[in-house]
Formats: sequence, C-alpha cells, structure tokens
Amino acid sequence: MDSLLHVLVVGLLLGGIYGLVSLGLNLIFGVIRIVNFAHGELVMLAMYGAYVCYATLGLDPYVSVLIVVPALFVVGVLMHRLVLQPLHAESSMQIFATFGLLILFQNAVLALTRGEGYSVPSKLAATTFEVGDIRVTMSRLVIFVALTLAAIALHVFLKRTRIGKSIRAVTQDRQAARLMGINVERTFTITFGIGAALAGLAGALLAPIYTLSPGIGGNFILAAFAVVVLGGLGSVAGAYFGGMIVGLVEAFAGFYIDPELKQAIWFVIFLAVLVVRPTGLFGQAGAEDVGFREQT
Amino acid sequence: MSGANTHTVGLAPDEDAARVAAEAPDPALGLISWRRVALLYAGGLFLAALPFSLLSGDLFWVNLFTYTYLFAGLAVAWNVIAGFGGQFSLGHGVFFAVGAYTTVRLYLGWQLSPWLGILPGAAACALIGPLIFLPTFRLKGSFFAIATLAFNEVALVMSNYMESITGGPRGLQVPFRAGVANMIFTNPRAYTLLAFGFMALALGVVVVLMRSRLGYYLLAVREDEDAARAAGISVTGVKLRATAISAGLTALGGGLFAMYVRTIDPLTLFSLPDIGVKFALLTLIGGMGTITGPVLGAFLIVPLEGYFRAALGGAGPGVHLILLGLVMVLAALFMRRGITGALDAAWQRWRHARPK
Amino acid sequence: MLQFKGFRALAAGVIAAAFATVAVAQAPLKIGAINPYSGPLALYGDEVARGYQLAVDEKNAKGGVLGRKVELVRGDAGNPQQGIAAVDQLASRDNVDLFIGTYISAVSNAASDAAQRYNKIYWDTNAVAAELTERGLPNFIRVGPNASNFADMSVRAVIEQIAPALGKQPKDLTVWIEHEDSIYGKSIGDIQKKLLDSKGVKVLGQGAHNFRAADLTDVVLRVKKANPDVWLMTGYVPDGNLLHKTAREQGFKPPVILMVGTGDTNETLDAVGADYLEGAMVVSYPRPDISEKFGPGAAAYLAAYRKAFNREPVAPQGLTAYTGMRILLETIEAAGSTDVDKVRAAAAKLDKPLNTYPSGFGVKFDDKFQNTRAIFTVIQWQGGKQVTVFPPEARGPGVALKNVPRKQ
Repeated sequence: MDSLLHVLVVGLLLGGIYGLVSLGLNLIFGVIRIVNFAHGELVMLAMYGAYVCYATLGLDPYVSVLIVVPALFVVGVLMHRLVLQPLHAESSMQIFATFGLLILFQNAVLALTRGEGYSVPSKLAATTFEVGDIRVTMSRLVIFVALTLAAIALHVFLKRTRIGKSIRAVTQDRQAARLMGINVERTFTITFGIGAALAGLAGALLAPIYTLSPGIGGNFILAAFAVVVLGGLGSVAGAYFGGMIVGLVEAFAGFYIDPELKQAIWFVIFLAVLVVRPTGLFGQAGAEDVGFREQT
Repeated sequence: MSGANTHTVGLAPDEDAARVAAEAPDPALGLISWRRVALLYAGGLFLAALPFSLLSGDLFWVNLFTYTYLFAGLAVAWNVIAGFGGQFSLGHGVFFAVGAYTTVRLYLGWQLSPWLGILPGAAACALIGPLIFLPTFRLKGSFFAIATLAFNEVALVMSNYMESITGGPRGLQVPFRAGVANMIFTNPRAYTLLAFGFMALALGVVVVLMRSRLGYYLLAVREDEDAARAAGISVTGVKLRATAISAGLTALGGGLFAMYVRTIDPLTLFSLPDIGVKFALLTLIGGMGTITGPVLGAFLIVPLEGYFRAALGGAGPGVHLILLGLVMVLAALFMRRGITGALDAAWQRWRHARPK
Repeated sequence: MLQFKGFRALAAGVIAAAFATVAVAQAPLKIGAINPYSGPLALYGDEVARGYQLAVDEKNAKGGVLGRKVELVRGDAGNPQQGIAAVDQLASRDNVDLFIGTYISAVSNAASDAAQRYNKIYWDTNAVAAELTERGLPNFIRVGPNASNFADMSVRAVIEQIAPALGKQPKDLTVWIEHEDSIYGKSIGDIQKKLLDSKGVKVLGQGAHNFRAADLTDVVLRVKKANPDVWLMTGYVPDGNLLHKTAREQGFKPPVILMVGTGDTNETLDAVGADYLEGAMVVSYPRPDISEKFGPGAAAYLAAYRKAFNREPVAPQGLTAYTGMRILLETIEAAGSTDVDKVRAAAAKLDKPLNTYPSGFGVKFDDKFQNTRAIFTVIQWQGGKQVTVFPPEARGPGVALKNVPRKQ
C-alpha cells in the first residue's frame, strides 16, 4: 500500500513536468495549428539561459525565471515573425522550418558549450520533505505548483483579457475574427511568444533537476506531443490532466512492470486513447479537423 | 495543397487540360500519353544518374550517392501515403526497420540470398502495415503524425527488448563475404547501382499508381475525404492500399540499407532525424505530393549534409549542422512550395516572359 | 669519355635517388582519426583526438616515423553510416595510410569494416564492445581495453577491495546491477552478473533504464527496496547524475556506490556536490594521477596536455588514446611499413609487460588482436577530487580508501 501511494506521488509530480513542458506547445498547437518540433529546443534554451544566469550573475534558477521567461517570449516572437509567419500558407513547410530550427538551436548550443554537461544548482530545489513515508522533492513540487498556477493564469488570461479573447476568437474562426477587426497575424505572433515563454518557464524550473545537454529537448518533445494530443487540442485543462495521466502511467509502468518498457507502455495507451477518442480526452469536437488542409 | 482547387480530373477539354497541366506542379498524369510518361521517366532517370557517373571515381561521392538514391526512393515511397494520400506519417521508420531486420535475419539464419530476403519484409509490411495504421486513419494531419511517431517509439523499445529476434541493443552484423548472391560487393559502385535501381523502381511504381484509378481516388481522398466518400470511394480501402504500397517499398529500402551498412541496431534504424523524419524532410523540401519532389529533396539534402560533415565535421562540434539547419530554414523561406514549386514558378515566369 | 659519361649518369642517378627518397620522406604518414567530433559526444571525441595529437607531436619532435612526419586527419562520425562515409572520405580524398579511433563502438564496427575494403589498418584505442575483436576482421587491432575489462575490473574491485573494506566475505555481499539499456550498458551489466555469480556474490537484481528518461524514481525505489551493499551503475552522464540526485532525494544511501564508465568528471561533481560523492568509486580509464611506477610518463602526459591545450584534461579517455597512438607508432616502426599484413605481424610480436606505458598498459595481443594488457583503474572521489585507488599498485603515494562504508 505504501508503494502504491509513493508511485502515485511520483507519477503526479512527473505529470507536472510533462504538463508544464506541454502547456506552451498546447497553446501554439491549438491556436496557430503549427506543429512546433522545435518546442523541446525552446525548453532547452531556457535551461541554458538559467545556467548563464547562474554562471554570470549567480542567480538561483527560480530567480532567473524573471529573466528567462521574457527572453523566451522574445525568442518566440522573433521565431514566428521571421520564420513561421511568412510560411503561414504552407503548413508542411512550417514543419520543415521548425526542424531546421531544431537542428540550428541544438548545434549552436553544442558549438558554444562543446557538449559539456552543465548543472544548475539550487538550494531550494534540492530540499526534500517527508509526507509520511514518502519523500517529496521541492524541485518537483515547485513545478507542479507552477504548472497549476500557470494553467489557471492562462485560463484567466484567455477568458478575461482582450488579447486572450482575440486569441480565442482566432482559434474559433480566423475569417470571422479578421472581419471583426482583429489583427490575426499579430495575435498569432503574440500567442507563439506566450507559448515560448511557457516553454521558458518549464526550462528554468527544470534546470535544477537535469544535467544540461544540447539534445535534452528531445527527451521531452515526444511526451509533450503525446500530452497535447491526448489532452485535446487547445484545451488548457487537457494539457494539465493529460500530463498527469502520462506521468501516472509512466510511473506505474516503470515500477510495477519494467523501467525499460515504461516508455512503450504509455505510448501504447496513448494510441489506444486516440483510437477510441480521436479528439483526445478533453478536445472539443471539430478540433480533430486539424491538418494541412487547413486554409487561411 | 498546391493547386488543389484547380484539379479537374480527366474530363476537361484540351485547353483546360493544358492549363491545368501547366499550373499544377505535377499534373494528373492521366492527361499525358503513356509514351510521354515513359520518356519523362527515362529522361528523369538519366538526369539522376548523371552526377553519379561524373563522380564515380571519387569513393566519397560514391558513398553519398548510394545514400542519395536510396533515400530518394524511400522518400518517394513515403510520399505515396503522405503527399498523395494526405496522411503525414512519421512512423515509416517501423517499415524500414522491419525490412532491415528481416533481410539480415533470413541471411544470417537461413543463408537466404538478400535478393529474395528483402521480399518477405516488404510483403509483411504491405500486409500488416496498413492494419497497424488503420486505427489511426481517422486522425487528421498532425494528430496522425504524432500517433505514427508513437509507433516508431514503441517499436524502438520493443526492438531493444526482443533480443532473440533483433539482437537487442547489440543489433545484427553481417560479415563481409563478397558475392553477388549475398548482395555484398567489393566494388562500392555496385551498391550505388542497386540504390539507383531501387529509386527507379519506387518512381516507376508511383508513376503507374498515379495514372491508375487508385491514384485518382487517392488524390480525391486527400483533397476532401467526405466528398470522396460521397462519390462512392472507399476511403479506408484507398488508404489501406496506398499504405501497403508505401510500406512495402520502404521495407525494401530498409533491406538494401541493411546490406549496405551491414550493421543494424535499434538506435540507428529508429533514429527519427536520420530515418523516420528524414523521409518527411526530404519530401517536404522537395515538394509534397509531386512525383519528382522527393527525389529533388534527396538530391539537395543528402549530399549537402554529407559534404558539410566531411568539410566541417572536424572544425568544431556541431558547426556543420548549424550550417545545415540554416540551409533548411532558408530553403523553407525561399522555396515555400518546395523545390518543385520553385522550379515550377521559374518555369512559369520564363514561359510568360517569352513573346507569344 | 666513358668515365665522364658514366660519372654524369652516376651523378644524375644519385641526385634522382636523393630526390626520390627526399620526396618519399617528405610525404607525411597520414592517420585518419575517426570519432564523433560533433553531436552529443563531441566532448569525448575531441578529447580522444587531443590524446592522439600529443602522441603525434611527440613523435614528430623526435623525427617522425620511418623518416616521415606524422599527420592526423579527422573524420567526424557519430553513427555507423557516418563512419563509413568518414572512411571513404579519408581514404579516397585524404589518402590516409591507416585509421585510428573510436569513441563509439558502433562507429568503430562499421568504419573498420569499410577500412577493410581499402585494405588499411584500423587501430582501435577506445571502443569497448566485445564484438569488435570477436568478428575476426583481418585489419582490426584493438590496443585499448574492452567491455569485459570494465566488468572485470569492477568485479575485482568489489571482491578485492570493497568486500574487505566492508568486512564481509564475497558470499555475504549483496549487489544490485543497474545499467543503461543500450549495448554499452547491457554488455557490461551482463558480464558483471556472470562474474559476480561465479564468485558467489549475491546479485539482488539487474535493472536496465533508458539514459534519456525524464524520471528515474522507479529505478531508485526498486534498488532502495532491495537494499544492497553495493550499487553498481553503468551508464552515461545524464542518467548517472539523475540517478544520484534521485537517490539523494529518496534517502537511498547504499554503503558503496561503484560506477562504471562515467561519473568521474566535473559534470557529476557539479551536479551532486563533493559531499554526496565522497567515497563513491568509478571504474574508468587510467588517470594521470596514477603512480609513476604504475604508469611511467603519466605525469609527463599531464604536463604536456596542460601546455598544449591550456586546460586540465576533460576526461581520462585522452590518456588511453595517447598511449594507444604511441603503441601504434612504435608498431609501424617495428613493421617498417603501414601495410596491413606487416603491421599485424609486428603487432603480434609485441610483448611488453603491464605498466610499461603512461596509462599503465603493457602490450600483448591475443589471437583476436585484443591487447590483453590493457586495463582500467578505479578512482574514488575524495574531497571533490578523483583519486586512483585500485589496483593498489596504481595508487599514488599516501593514498588510502575513504568513507567505505558511507557515513549515513
């Protein structure tokens, strides 16, 4: 019984990680309908950003969030404006471009760091506290809390603010939104920026946990896509709970079956869910009609 | 997709047919005579063979061309279901790997000549591949892509796990025993010819396919599934058959790859950037849904990547890939419809510039 | 008149011969060095090449090999396909005389095979997969240690050093074998299991994990439940670091941690800190701090490295690479040529005892051309520094084992 609770906690916290990484991707995917394969690299850049803040300014990664998140917003805006926006009519070419960016980012960081595995320490992150028999690490708890707050904030932002409303309008019907006077292109760029900023948040908070490497984005990207699809496009709740589910499945599979197979197992479950519910768990009907036939 | 709304299939009078043929990057081939198709095919192959014949003295380029032709064929195969069928698959690595493992296993275990050994893998993929994809067919676009990505990942884990079949993480090695029957050659150029043959086969299959009724149905399904269904086309049936062709060809390519490299392991075969996603990348930049697109994409990316690595690989970690990434982004920005689109636009400009 | 003509002819002949030998002598002896110089393992590929370069520079300062200057040409390869392309490039365009490598076993496998078709030697210094010498490839010679040596040395350390330090007999010792799930970790883990079983040590379990996994808590919980005396870990830096961090968070503190292959660089020190690592041991390539008796010239290597590259060595693979290159150059001289058959014959005759070279190696090839006198050593983290502790002969002056069992 103890083990069960322990694995449950581990799964939820892992789900927090997946959810946070996927939150930005979900927004981009759901609103702009871009498959951003370079999303993992945005997280990676944020992690290295946290390292730079630590190495040059001595900042704790949790403090560096204040620098890294806005920086990633700018990166996202530039990325969209310069590369993705011009290709908005050719969604397959956008995919190709994001791959080019993936290779570019990864190797730029590799060239700069020569591949040395940096660590970003944080005193707060390493502390653990016990809940009964179970040990919870602050670093993961912070992520879980941050995810929850970010999800709520995003939800409120989308519902209450004007920009948020334009984003929702554009998601529902681009033509109508344009007719209502909304600058669709600018909304997209801002959305991408926010998505990148969320990736930045994830990266900065994940930095204390992992050893940095230029390719670390690749560790998360598949899970992130699965979470987004599983959770349902454009649904904040979807990314939130989708992440939990993936985290729980992985934790249980890893402990009770075999750590070697856990990745395969949750992928199989992911496929099973899609077969049964092509819109994902929380997806809106019609959200399934996403793809390269989309006309702007 | 490019030119989608202007497709009037097979019923237009000559003028419209000519206009359609001119505007779309790859006109519905049914509008051209078999003889002309054959000429274009032969001419295209001749052009494709030219660079190799010029550089066949340099073994470095020989190796690169083997990969170029092989991946061109693989991209063409991928394009059948992705470009023409509209199902953007990132799971073709699974078919590739099945072809590779089957060929090597049959050769090592039963001394079956790879010329025959590549067939069972292809047949298996042609039969089972569509069945695996079937549940995911109703997923659209990116959802389908990510679902197929999941296939690739599951297959990777299983290949590592099922040691008795795949050799596990160690993989399988084919010792060098030269012999035509073994598909192992001392002269590396033989492999280039083999890869070229594979590319020619894949192109031939696609040309025939797109002139057939299945080809029309495929395009119709890609454009508008509901309309196609309303017109009486069995959408699932069409997709299944297209997947069968695509998967079978990909498995053939995988078998040839295995006999060229002679060492296969899960990390190599299921590597997304090197294999599974590469098919997509080559086709994307070349021009999705066109016959020549995948080939052009392969001719651009594969030699460039190889050349960059050779020239700059020692210069500093990642330098040559920074360059490749830049080239990819710039290519996307400046050739928005792929190479075929760019060529087509240039052709149009030239035509319109000529005095009538 | 004949005399005059003859003299002219003779003079011409002598001058021509002189030019010919000078021309031949000037042609550098090119060695193609195949390693990952890009991609995630670039750090190690670079380090290995630096080791080669030091040996090459040393030899050139002494006049080169067979009167020729040695030149190193790099071929970047991170996977088997690239390995083949690199060989093609180096053989056909750079006209290298032979090959040396390679930090990744799979690359070595494909590249050496390709080199065979060019009929050139493939001299391996750093790839550890057992298959490489099992294949029977006629041009392949491995001068460095292999996966069995890794496993061997780790088991030796468990039996000869750890068991006594814990005050236990081998049959009372419990061990958990953890390894990453690719060929590297798996081959070492399997051999460790076999050896430990044969020595009567209780192996409580053998776990495999993906080195890129986002979470390894399940792995740690499993080991924690088993509660072994010794935690054997074989993997790479990312997973090793994550395992340590997770173990610390979960309150898992086994009496002894013995890592294989990685965990002995600053990457791990930075990740978990000196306090946590105190007493943890790593089986790895010999380091320059080994005693001069064990590895004559190790200190000189360190000095040369610092001078040439203006930094501390990045990883111990460099010293092994340096030694491997030195032995290669000696072998070429003994053979009088770079011809495959002659080099092999010369290599087969080599017989130098352990502790001849700076890395502590000797040289004696078995019939599969695996150097039987290539070894690993074990370091222990002491006060944030990597100190060689095993085999005991390798210890520097005044070195002793610390913190075994770990203070709880």
